[in-house]
Amino acid sequence: MSGIKASAADRRDARFGYVLAAPSLTVLFLIILFPVLSALYTSLHEYTLIAPNFDIFTGFDNFRLALADAEFRHSAWLTIRFVIGVVLLEFVIGFGIALMLNKVERFKPIYYAILLCPLLMNPVIVGLIWRMFLHPNLGIVNYLLSTVGLGPVNWLGDTKIAIWTVIMVDIWHQVSFMIVLLLAGLASLPKEPYEAARVDGANAFQCFIHITLPMMRTVIIVTLLIRLIFAVKTYDLIYIMTRGGPGVATDLVSYFIYRTAFVGLNIGEASAMSIILLTAILGLTAYLYRYMRSIR
Amino acid sequence: MRIKWSTILPHLVLTVFSLAILLPLVWVLRVSLTDKLTAYRIPPEIGHIGLENYVEIFSVYPFERWFFNSLLVALLSTAISLPLATAMAYAFARFNTGGAMLRLGVLASQMLPPIILVLPLFTLFFTTGLMQTHLGLVLSHLTISLPFLAWMLVSFFEGDSASLEEAARIDGATRWQAFIKIAVPVAAPGILAAGLLGFILSWNEFLFALVLSGASTQTLPIGLASMETHAGVEIAPLAAATVVSLLPVFALLPFLRKYLIKGLSLGALK
Repeated sequence: MSGIKASAADRRDARFGYVLAAPSLTVLFLIILFPVLSALYTSLHEYTLIAPNFDIFTGFDNFRLALADAEFRHSAWLTIRFVIGVVLLEFVIGFGIALMLNKVERFKPIYYAILLCPLLMNPVIVGLIWRMFLHPNLGIVNYLLSTVGLGPVNWLGDTKIAIWTVIMVDIWHQVSFMIVLLLAGLASLPKEPYEAARVDGANAFQCFIHITLPMMRTVIIVTLLIRLIFAVKTYDLIYIMTRGGPGVATDLVSYFIYRTAFVGLNIGEASAMSIILLTAILGLTAYLYRYMRSIR
Repeated sequence: MRIKWSTILPHLVLTVFSLAILLPLVWVLRVSLTDKLTAYRIPPEIGHIGLENYVEIFSVYPFERWFFNSLLVALLSTAISLPLATAMAYAFARFNTGGAMLRLGVLASQMLPPIILVLPLFTLFFTTGLMQTHLGLVLSHLTISLPFLAWMLVSFFEGDSASLEEAARIDGATRWQAFIKIAVPVAAPGILAAGLLGFILSWNEFLFALVLSGASTQTLPIGLASMETHAGVEIAPLAAATVVSLLPVFALLPFLRKYLIKGLSLGALK
């Protein structure tokens, strides 16, 4: 008797849940799922913006063209290296700073308040101010270098240096993200294992390797994964600082797709490329999701 | 007295790091207060200090229009997405609506690179006449704020209010009343902080506005980027515009600090 009653209440609970979620789901369907499906449709057609009735179904031709396109392969490979580079460098610098912040007492609120500043800054603004500083003749950075007898460096105009300049600016902008999350993880670690290890005569380095790293594992993985997925999206910084140049030296995949669609007006092939990018992002997101559920 | 390196060294490194973050921002402020010639002089000199650049961005450039457009789009997209996301997040947390697949879908929507959506939105807006309108921009910004808020708010409802809601239900409250009168007020500080983060996401958005806005609907980031290209060398007004654009974000930051870690880690860390 009570079992039937409970299940009736459960059913009403479930129905109420769907009623609450319905408005959001409708909007998400219209502005995300439908556009993504339409991009998928476009990617399978020879697409003409002005005359939709003349679209020709071409199967996977756009994908074949995209994958055979040397510039697309270059930008995909560059993106992979860029993402690994910024995530690793930001992680190493961020972890180092977080460890020190976790150790100090005095001035800690001041350090923390300062490092929060870039966190929510607009990437467009970050790009603009660094372009200003890095100007080859009129920028403050080359002037400061010249006072110690270095430079001048052509930060954004040299094909070998430009990508590293973008990486440095991205570190300036995003390293605080790593610090804030890793510091939160460090602050929540228990004290007892460290005391026990000290009694056993372990030094600071051994404590770090055998206590800090294993206990920080979940925080580190979540932080790295989120930062990784966001780094794949990098677009604004490239648009503002280099427009993918000089040549194609900083042509990350989001910017390359933008160029293919809105400069080259090849919307079909650009859609195929964006579907390839989507697949990669979905894979990473599914992994992050599984990991987040496993630590709950 | 012996200097203890183990206590000095962290402060040394942290000071250098803090200066590396702070000095560029101070320098932008300084450039924004000098006149155009001084701004470019190398080696730098202090020279004249004044607010002319702040006047110029409003008189020579349509800065107030960019500012107004950004404000309008960010406020509207947040005002629409916050209640919708709150309701869906509550359904996820309390009734596990849609199960794991739907939650993964929401997370994936949030992780979606904007370049993937901007192509189909461009063609859709082109055919429906939403191109270059405020409504179109608001809709495009919903693709960012709605999944972000929905995902983030789930963890706010997984906390304390469940037992309160049950007690209220036993006293005869409906499911709707338990949601609106108990769950939402208990989670209100978190919901508001999430709303502020949603506002900042929209305020900072660039690619959708770049492709989908027109001369009269341009937002701040687009305006700033265009200043850079057509003025070419005028860094002093650009610095002033940058400072004004950063103000709202810096003003909101203190209210967010408590929720920042949850927001940045997508609810995975507290």
